[in-house]
Parts: sequence; C-alpha cells; structure tokens
Amino acid sequence: MKILGLYKNSQIFKIALAIAIVVVCYIASVFYSQMQKLDSTVELIANSNETQLELEKLLSVISIYETSLRSYIITKDEAYIKNRFLSRGKIEQNIKNLKKLTSNDFTRSQHIDRLKKLIDYRFKLFRQTLIIAKSKNVNRLELNSKLLESSDVTEMMKSFVSKIIFSESAKAKIQNNNHQFELQDSITTAFLLVILSLVILFLSFNKMNVDIEELKKANDKLKLLNESYNTAEMTAGFGHWMLNLETSTYTFSDNLFRLMGVEPNAFEPNIENTIKYIHPDDLDYVTKVHKDSLLNHQSTSMTFRFLTPKGEVRYIMGVGSFTKDGNGDLIKIGVNYDITNQYKKTLELENNNKELKYINTELEAFNNIVSHDLQEPLRKIQMFISRLEEKELDLLSQQGKDYFSKIRVAANRMQTLLIDLVNYSRTIKGDKVFVETDLKMVLDEILQDLSSNIEEKKAAIEIGKLPTIKVIPFQIKQLFINLISNSLKYSKEDIVSQIKITSKKITEKEMRDYKIINKEDYYKIVITDNGIGFKQEYAEKIFLLFKRLETDPKYSGTGLGLAICNRIVENHKGFIKVKGEPGVGAKFYVFIPKGDLL
Amino acid sequence: MKLNFNYDGNIACRAILQDQLEKLDIKYQLLDLGQIEISDDVSEESFAELEISLKKYAIHIIDNPKGQLIQKIKDAIIEIVYEKEKFPNITISQYLSDKLNFRYGYITNVFSEYTHTSIENFIIIQKIERAKKLIIEEELTLTEISHELNYSSVAYLSTQFKKVTGLTPSMFKRIVDKRRQLSNNE
Amino acid sequence: MITHQDSMHILLADDDEDDRTFFSEAIQELKMNNKLTLFKDGNELMDYLVHPDIKLPHVLFLDLNMPGKTGIECLKQIRANTRFKDVSIAIYSTSSSEKDIEDTFIEGANIYITKPNDFSSLKKVIQEVVNMNWQFHSSGLNIETFFFST
Repeated sequence: MKILGLYKNSQIFKIALAIAIVVVCYIASVFYSQMQKLDSTVELIANSNETQLELEKLLSVISIYETSLRSYIITKDEAYIKNRFLSRGKIEQNIKNLKKLTSNDFTRSQHIDRLKKLIDYRFKLFRQTLIIAKSKNVNRLELNSKLLESSDVTEMMKSFVSKIIFSESAKAKIQNNNHQFELQDSITTAFLLVILSLVILFLSFNKMNVDIEELKKANDKLKLLNESYNTAEMTAGFGHWMLNLETSTYTFSDNLFRLMGVEPNAFEPNIENTIKYIHPDDLDYVTKVHKDSLLNHQSTSMTFRFLTPKGEVRYIMGVGSFTKDGNGDLIKIGVNYDITNQYKKTLELENNNKELKYINTELEAFNNIVSHDLQEPLRKIQMFISRLEEKELDLLSQQGKDYFSKIRVAANRMQTLLIDLVNYSRTIKGDKVFVETDLKMVLDEILQDLSSNIEEKKAAIEIGKLPTIKVIPFQIKQLFINLISNSLKYSKEDIVSQIKITSKKITEKEMRDYKIINKEDYYKIVITDNGIGFKQEYAEKIFLLFKRLETDPKYSGTGLGLAICNRIVENHKGFIKVKGEPGVGAKFYVFIPKGDLL
Repeated sequence: MKLNFNYDGNIACRAILQDQLEKLDIKYQLLDLGQIEISDDVSEESFAELEISLKKYAIHIIDNPKGQLIQKIKDAIIEIVYEKEKFPNITISQYLSDKLNFRYGYITNVFSEYTHTSIENFIIIQKIERAKKLIIEEELTLTEISHELNYSSVAYLSTQFKKVTGLTPSMFKRIVDKRRQLSNNE
Repeated sequence: MITHQDSMHILLADDDEDDRTFFSEAIQELKMNNKLTLFKDGNELMDYLVHPDIKLPHVLFLDLNMPGKTGIECLKQIRANTRFKDVSIAIYSTSSSEKDIEDTFIEGANIYITKPNDFSSLKKVIQEVVNMNWQFHSSGLNIETFFFST
C-alpha cells in the first residue's frame, strides 16, 4: 500500500520535474533574447555616439577651413590655404564614415545626404570666395557678399548638424533608458533562473532522500513479512512452491521441506527429488494432475500423502494455480496444506456418526419394543386379569383377592409407564422438523383432545394471546398436553380448577436471572393453575426423570410427564421454569427462542 | 375426474318416489317426511313392483305400525336438528309427544327396543352428523357450528363429537380433506 | 331394512390367537345373534372375500400388524373394490398412534379400535361398533363420513 503510494508520488514528482525544466528552459530562452536585445542596444548607442563624433569632426574641419580662409583673406598668406585639399579629403572620409554608420537607417542617411549637399555647396562657396580673394582686384562688395553667404551657409550647416546631433543624442538617450530597463529585466530573469534551479535541485535531493528512506522501510517490511510468512507457514502447516514455466525452475518455501520431513533446502527443488517424498500410492495421480496442469494451465486441487523419511504419513491438501510474475513469465504457484489432523478427526467423526446412527436405530428398535412388543403381552396380562376378575375372582380367598387387585394395579401402572416412555423416547429421536405453528390452533386441538378430561374435572381453561412459532408441531402439542394434564391432575377437588395459558412479556428480572440478552429473542408462555401447588424448593427437581413430588396414590403419575416437557423445550433450544406455592397453585414458564436463535 | 357435491336427501327421495309412482300409474299424495298416501285400489302386483323398484334406492316400505312410528320419530328428530329455528322454545320430548300423540315414555321405549339406542343418543348422532356436514362445508367456524347446534360451548361440542366419532373435529376435518385429496389425485 | 332381529355378519382377521379368542368370547357373551368368521391373517381373509358366492359381511375387524398381508394392505385392496363399498371396516390394533388412526381412516377405514386391556371394555367396544354401524346403515347417515374411533 505504502509502496504503491510512493510509486504514485514519484510519478507526480516526475511530472513536476518535467514542468520545472520546461519553465527553466523558457526562462533561459527569455534571458537569452533579452541579452541579444541588450547587445543591439549597446551597438545602437555606440553608433549614435560615433555619428555624433563624426559630425562634430566634420564641423570642426569646416570651421578650421573657414578660419584658414579668413586668415588668408586678411593676410593673403598662402600658408593658410595650402592644406585645403587635405581638409577636403578628411571631410570626404567623414562623410563616408557617416554614410556607413547610417546605412541601416533611411532617415539618417537622407540627413547625411543633405548634409553632404550642404557641405558641397559650402565648399563651392569656399572656392568662389577664394577665387575672389585671390583675384588681383578684389571686389570687396562681391567678396563681402560671398563671405556673408558663406557664413549663412555655415550657420545653416551648423544648425542642421546640431539638429542631427540632437536627434542622435535623443535617440541615444532613449536607447540608454531602454538599456537600463532591459538590464533590470535581465537581472530579474537571471535571478529567477537561479532560484528555480536551486528549488528543483533541493526538491530532487529531498525526494531522493525520502525515496531512499521509503525503500529502506519497504525493504525492512518485506523482510519482516517474509519472516512472519515463514513462521505462519510453519505454525499453520502450510508450504508453498513456485514453478517458472519459462525457465523450468522450482522454488520451495522452507516449510514445504519441513512438510516432507526434511530440513529447509535439504535438496534441490525439482520434481525428481520431490517425488521421493510422495506416498507411492498417490504418486501416479499427483504427477499426472501436475503434468496435465502444466499443459492446460488449469488450477489444480488434490489430496495426497507425503511419506517422510521417518515413515510418517502426512495428509496434504494441495492447490495450484497459474499466474504471471514481474517479468511476464508464466509461473505455477502451489500451496500444500497439512490436513492430517482434520483428516483423522473427520475419520473419527465419521466413525462416531456411524456409531450414533447405529445407536439411533437401536433406540428406535427399543422404542418399537416398548411401544408395541412390550405392550402386547402386558395387554394380554391385563386382559386375562379382567377375565379372571369377572369369572373366577369368587373362587379366591380374601388374601388371594388382595394379591389379585395388586397385580391389576401394578399391570395398569406398567402400562401408563410404557406409554410415557414411548412419548419420552419420541422427544429424543423422532423427526425434528420445524414448522411455523399457530399455538392458538395447537391449543384448540389439545382442548378437543382433552375435552372429556376437562369436562370430568369441570375445569375452566382460558387461552390468552399466543404467538405463531417455528416448532416441532407434535412435540409442542405434547408439551402443552402434558402441562395442562399436569394442572388437571393436581387440581383441588373443592374448587373449580382454573387453568390459563397465555404469552407474556419477559421481565427485567427474568432477563437477569436467565441471562437473556434481548427480550425479543424469546417467546414466553405462561401456564397458570390454581391447583395444589408445591414448595418452591422442589422447582428444579420437578423436571427430572422419574421425579415425583406427590406420594399420595390419588395423584398417580410416572414422573415422566414434566421430564418430557423439559426435554421438548430443550429440543427447541428454550428452557422451562416453574413457580409453586402449596395450596395456591403452580405457574409454568416456557421460554422458546424466536426463529433466528435456532 | 372426481366431483364433490351436496344434495338434499329429502328432495332426492321425493323425486325418486314421484318417478317410481308415476311410472306404475299409482295415484298418490306426498305427505310429511317419509309418508305418502296412495289410493286403495292399487293391485297386489303393482304394489310388489313398487316395493322392488324402491328397494334399489334403499327405500323400504314399512308396513308394521311400530316401524312406522319409529320412522316418524326419526323424521321428527331430523326435522328438529336441521331446522331448529322452526322450534325456538320447545323441548324435543314435548315436540315428539305432541306431534306423534303418544306419551314420551312410550315413544322412548319403542324407539330403544327397535333401534338399540336411546332417543337421546339418536339425537346426538344426528346432531354430530349435521356438525360433520357443516365442518366439511367449511362455511362456519366451530364456534358458529356449536351455536347452530345449540351447544353451550365449543368444548361441549368437541366432547360430544369425540364421543360419537372418537375423533376431534380438527382431526375429522383433516381426514376428510386428505381423503378428498387422495381421490382427486387418482 | 336391517333390524336388530337380523343377524349381523362379522369378520375378524387377527394373527394373535388369544385376541381371536377374546373377541369370539365377547361376541358370544353379548348374545347379539351375530355370525362371526375368524381369519388367521390377511391372505386368508382376502382369499375368502374374493369368492363371489359369499354373503358380504356387515363389519370387518382388521388387525394392522399381521404376517403376510398387513391390515393396511387388505384395507387398500378392499376399498379399491366397489363390491365392498357397504362393508364397514373396523381397524383393530394395539397401536394408538394418531398417525395410524389418521392413515387408516384416510385409506377408507370407518372405525378404529385400539385393542382394550380389559374384557368388559372389549365387549362394550364391540357392542358400540355394531350399534353405530347399524345406526349408520339404518338411519340414512352418510357412510362416507362414518368414522368411529375408540
């Protein structure tokens, strides 16, 4: 689970890393383009400055020229003008330079072209002035006008140049400002780049650290798991093996070796070595199943025996199934389970079951003997007693008559005993089929069955609310027949016998006393009578087999009736309780679980 | 296929009598239960023929006076048991002696002598017979049946039912139902 | 019409010799002018009944637990034959189980008698059965629902 989480994390981490690298690349390219831009700005500024310089040089050449010309006019010294061609060359050079500098800008090169024209015109004026000045008779007026014009043109030129210089310097200023900005941006970008790289570096490092930690933990856990698996196999009697079908190599778990009765890794795991430990009787079957499965790749399940070197036989449940390992190789994994104990227990259980079935048939036979074969001769005895009584009794002495009457009483008692015994054995065996049964209907039927008995006792029987319960119908009928018969039998002679059967709610006290967890788990049915009752101290004994409280022959009984009741209630996983008070009556409480407890 | 049906024996009997008498051209008048009046000029031959033809239907001509009296007693009892609403405030003994014009003591003696049973017993048998019919018809509950038959309680009806049949009404019902099921499955 | 003067023809099939003796003694003592024929088992009984010349009995007493043909087998066989539809069948058995009673009634028995354990009860039972049978046959009662158990 954790390993899976880790894997998932690294996946996310990979994505984050990729995004970060893309971002870094982007920022780096932005930085590069900023640098490029910065470069061109610097170039532009240099160009502008150079242009200014050339222009100023130009102006100064022209000024020098003018000054020389003036000086010549005044002094007529030829030395002032001997360098004039040189200057002209200089200017040509300047113009050429300027042309070159402004070649990439149409407006600027136009400006330069105009400047050149102005300079050409100015030189024309120089020449004209010089010609006038050199002539013998200097026309003062003409010279003056030429000088004036020259001066004007120079001024114009100067102002034009200064205009250009101004525009150049303005441009340079803007460029400079831009340069400042770009420089700022570049610094920010560079800083960002560094920070981001650092963050990525840190995260990577951290992640690596965590990964290693997790890996270590996972490894530890795996080790522990492996160990506990080994222990578990040993404790539970499991052993497993693996067969790589690509490489045909077997792997056996330690405990598989132990199951075969040898130390772990006692031999090289393969079929040839293993079959030595398989019970010879099972060998063909086991190898066939295994080899078939290697062909059809179907899961296997079989029971066989290992025969250990010590000669011990172990019953093994072996299952095998096919899967693919991490490399995509087809492998068969098998688990062998030592079921020797279960097998032995099942055998034992089967034997017990057989014995039980035998006992049950015996019981049934016994039941038949009691209900039919024993009753037959007894009935005959009673029949002959009645024949003798009717015909021959007078021939007997008084003592003989007494004996005879005792024989009759004993025979009658034996008969009731046999009937009760049959009923009792029917509660032990018998078909225990649970059926939804309306107790009200059962009691209606019982009252019909007992009608003559009830009539005879002049009993008033009240039936209250009764539930429909899942029970064994004939047993539950027997239960209520016995309880009502009991109440009728132990009724008082002087008053009207009143018997009430109704269901009631379970009280808190009863829950405590009888350890009932939930009131809704049981039905409680109460049978109340106003008979002779009994002392509460006998309350438990009354349900015991052959236990009778009354010794008065008037209340004849076999001591089986209530034992049968107890038995029936137990068959229904319920319990029966009784409360008695001498001279007042008895209350029987029948607790029967509701369906789901059965 | 099995069919269940009910019928009125009385009407059936009358129809049979009418059929047979008309077949033999005997003039007749249907009187009370189990009695007809025929003209005196019926020949010995046709009388014998009538007797034979009726025997097939288990109808017997009773020609001794005591036998006739017993039949009358039985008919009267059946009448009371089956149509009790007609006789709200009369005891059976009263009704019998009034109807038959004999002392009740005489009636009971003659009855016991000929039928092996007492009038009281015969009444009980008839009442239980009616109870059986009502149980089978399934239209009334046991309580209603006990009321219909003038029993003070279901318990008393059950007691008497058991005395006559040896069975409880429930068991009786179960047996009849299962018998029907059995014959329907055939 | 059957009257009490007519003799009743009664059959009893029971493998127990003592029981047959008790039964015939009871019939004798009752002085009911009855004719009783005894059979030692079911086969003997059925051999007799299939004979076409016999006078049909009024009541047949049938023990359930008999060697050879059991009572219930005889009962089924008899009830399958319409010739015997007017013969009342009384089961005469030691078993008093409700199941046996119900089963035999369902198979067509009319009377179920648990063998009594004293002689006077036996006499009383036989008398009651004969009487009840006579009532049913003489008073136009529904034989189909003629059940009597004691």
